[in-house]
Amino acid sequence: STVSGKPNIPAPLPSALATARIIDDLGRVPYPEGVRSPKVELNVNAKDGKFRYDRDFLMQFMSICKEKPDNLPPLDAIGLESQTMPYPMVRGGSQRGNRSGAAVAR
Amino acid sequence: QEISMEAQAEGIRTVFSDPTNFNVKHPLYSPWTLWFDSPMTKNRNLPQTPISAMPQTPGPMPPTPGVAAAQGWMEDIKRVISFDSVEEFWGLYNNIVPPSALPQKANYYLFKEGIIPAWEDEANKNGGKWSIQLPKDKNRSNVDKMWLYTMLAAIGETFDPSLTTLDPTGSPPNSLITGVIVSTRPQFYRISIWTRLAPAGEDDGSLKERIEGVGRHFKTSVLGYPDNAKLAGPLATEVEFLSHKDSEKKGKGKKIIV
Repeated sequence: STVSGKPNIPAPLPSALATARIIDDLGRVPYPEGVRSPKVELNVNAKDGKFRYDRDFLMQFMSICKEKPDNLPPLDAIGLESQTMPYPMVRGGSQRGNRSGAAVAR
Repeated sequence: QEISMEAQAEGIRTVFSDPTNFNVKHPLYSPWTLWFDSPMTKNRNLPQTPISAMPQTPGPMPPTPGVAAAQGWMEDIKRVISFDSVEEFWGLYNNIVPPSALPQKANYYLFKEGIIPAWEDEANKNGGKWSIQLPKDKNRSNVDKMWLYTMLAAIGETFDPSLTTLDPTGSPPNSLITGVIVSTRPQFYRISIWTRLAPAGEDDGSLKERIEGVGRHFKTSVLGYPDNAKLAGPLATEVEFLSHKDSEKKGKGKKIIV
């Protein structure tokens, strides 16, 4: 819409995730050959989309759902960074909170 | 791919039949929020703290006195993301740092949306936690899988076995679980399961049984230990439960061990 008066920047195409609808009846969902359905006994009284899922079922998504979520902030902006190098300064015995000690790691 | 005629007629496509153009997703029992803190998040004036993030969550809840009381504790904890489907969980999992690669003194807190990872939250104040502490050296290669399985049991809502055996005619029962935490420390890892309630004493038998069911599931199915295994040792604990009220007393409380 141009009502706001802002430049009309086209929105990026929504991902399938953003437009996919919520499953409301697990029993009607077809899974391809070789894909396990969720354990039926976990959902005997399920309603309102409140489903429970066993681990074997959930693990099947691991190698398929790899796309980074649109709403994931840049991890370094929240201080969430992978510690790929060995910690350069291990202080023997000290378990107290020590901010300056942590800063050394940078 | 073999897809039934009926499903084709309805046009249902899961991520398994079409990874890029699927049109249905698997909703979780509850929406979840992932929080994070480490020495790197401290004193950083970022907008993602629970206090600033809470008003954005849906619902008419004004900030409770409990949340205000937890403010000091929460101000360095950053909100990473919220999600409410299986597919979104894995998109997050595949793009975030595993516990074994986190710096020391870091924590992930995966809690149900609207519950902050603090004792003071309404949902936690009468509860407690199951936890295990594991020496870092021996468990560096295990901790990622243990944390993944812990998250899957939480979002899949399989920690609390009584959820299916309760009254089928009633509304979906309230799950005992409020969140799960993994912590990295210089010499050990800790994984915790927070519960909404804690048994008050010996007269609280049925709740004690339900809580113990969560602990046993955690020990055997999630962490993969035999039921009768003794786990305590240098830097290691048993799988043990302590109410938050007893935790505040610094070790004076009564533990349950499975």
